[in-house]
Amino acid sequence: MYIIGENIHIISEKVKEALAARDREFFMDLAVKQVEAGAKAVDINLGPRKKDYAEVWPWIIETIETVVDVPLSIDTTNTDGMEAALKSVKKAQPILNSTSAEPERLEKVPALAKKYNAKIIALTMGTSGIPVEADARVNIAVETLIPHLMEIGFNMDDLIIDPLVLTTSGCQQYCPHLIETVRMLQYAWDPAPKISVGLSNVSNAVPNENRPLINRVYLSMLMGVGLQMMIANPLDEKQNQVIKWIETGDTSTPLAKLYNKIAEHTANSDEPQIADFDMSDPEQAAIWKTTQILLNKVIYADAYLNN
Amino acid sequence: MPIEIPKDKWPGSVRAITIGATSADGGTRAKSITVGGQTALPYMHFEAPMPNKPVVAVEIKSRKPEDWSTLLMNAWGDAMTSPAAWAKKAEEVGADLIVLALTLADSPSEAVAAVKSVLAASGLPLIVWGPGQAEKDNELLVAVSEATKGERIVLGICEDKNYRTIVATAMANGHLVQARTPMDVNLSKQLNILISDMGMPKERILMDPTTGALGYGIEYGYSVMERLRLASLQGDAMTQFPMLVTPGLEAWKTKEAKVGEGVPEAWGDWNARSINWEILTAMALVESGADIVVLRHPESVKRVKDAIGELVMA
Repeated sequence: MYIIGENIHIISEKVKEALAARDREFFMDLAVKQVEAGAKAVDINLGPRKKDYAEVWPWIIETIETVVDVPLSIDTTNTDGMEAALKSVKKAQPILNSTSAEPERLEKVPALAKKYNAKIIALTMGTSGIPVEADARVNIAVETLIPHLMEIGFNMDDLIIDPLVLTTSGCQQYCPHLIETVRMLQYAWDPAPKISVGLSNVSNAVPNENRPLINRVYLSMLMGVGLQMMIANPLDEKQNQVIKWIETGDTSTPLAKLYNKIAEHTANSDEPQIADFDMSDPEQAAIWKTTQILLNKVIYADAYLNN
Repeated sequence: MPIEIPKDKWPGSVRAITIGATSADGGTRAKSITVGGQTALPYMHFEAPMPNKPVVAVEIKSRKPEDWSTLLMNAWGDAMTSPAAWAKKAEEVGADLIVLALTLADSPSEAVAAVKSVLAASGLPLIVWGPGQAEKDNELLVAVSEATKGERIVLGICEDKNYRTIVATAMANGHLVQARTPMDVNLSKQLNILISDMGMPKERILMDPTTGALGYGIEYGYSVMERLRLASLQGDAMTQFPMLVTPGLEAWKTKEAKVGEGVPEAWGDWNARSINWEILTAMALVESGADIVVLRHPESVKRVKDAIGELVMA
């Protein structure tokens, strides 16, 4: 699993404070921690920075490149900020995060990625928002994103498609469709495009204590359909454990076996079966309940584990 | 060639819930009302009979409302000056249940007096709503709950920010609760879980998923109702509650119902339009699975009851 570490994100109060104080140590430490935990790239989301992009981006890139060698993912909607960041990168080939299929975005962002030899994350979202159906999302990739990138002579190896994970709390019906989109995208083009998702979006607006469980159960389903790259929290040890179990086919413990079963069922286009779960074990029962909300079988509620 | 109509067989069902206690059950109601119990989608009579038909509640207030439409004032006349007289008249026009809405001006003793006067004037089962401010709701509903122990009144309105006190007093005094959430399946289920987790028996919860009036978001309302009902039939225990909705309250907030002057002539007669607005809002919700619709105009009560009669006969 290629993890793009998500932890340098302006939504975190600590990141916000550290940025305001231009605290180099904080960012160096957070970048190193993520890479040491296994992140293959580090995402940097500092918000639009409309006023100070020209100063902030070179500063943060220089700070982080002081301590790590991995690719940096430049995560902003501000194209001026993107360019300021791309110009500053001195080490690995960066990732530009992201473009959508909206004409204005598509016009500007891939051209920047090409100019500065960056990889690009392209979202399957058009002007009318995010479609629910898997087919419609795949269509955005094959009818809009890929043709445009080919037209401008973009290196297709550097294209990463993000089919957009939405939260089970409020957009539950999207969760199974995203799994199907990941499955289908791999057959949508030859060679298969790289696919990445923002995993923790699946638990946005979910109470913090329930988020990691929802994230890792969804991850096991997505690994079942072949996901190999994601933006995620590399410091989540239980998540890293699940990745390892599935990647190595480890079934030596009941939980390892269970997560492999979930991946296997999803790979075979069928659903996890309650018979696979030891419902007398609270942990396994919680995993079962989580599969049911993620597959939109049972309506999500914050207290769904008590249901 | 004979045609076989495919039938859905659902694993789950809606709980049957009884409101109001007769003397045999320790209350004073002339009769009780049971709603819910469905094992199929609404009015799919060929799949399963509908065990209990939807019922109509009439909303009255403890004090004559200042802000209600003159059309409603004219329809109810002097009866509005006393909750007892208003309840009696509501029963006469065909109400199955009374909703008594308390007001911010009521003291706990006044609220209890109003509730007792309604119980004395009408034998119908009763729903009592607080005025809608958490502190005041709790103060009035606890007093009412204790003074009417055993009557199986529905106490409302429980919302996620204020449900504990109301649920506790309902549990202690043998009443039911109305659980309201703002047109959202996830929040609706969540509140049902929270109320059940307090120990409230599931046979004493009604859910109110909130609705909008015709032209004012009703489609969000009935979509949520449809999803909740489908989930209950699929076996989700925390959605298997009968649904109460308030089309009267919503319809009488609309411009079409409120405004008699300065509107296009094509809108037609004000009185007829207002009543139609309330009826059409109510019927859309009845067809989406509502078990209790709360109405305001006497003519709407009659016509919605007629329409329900035809639906359950069909």
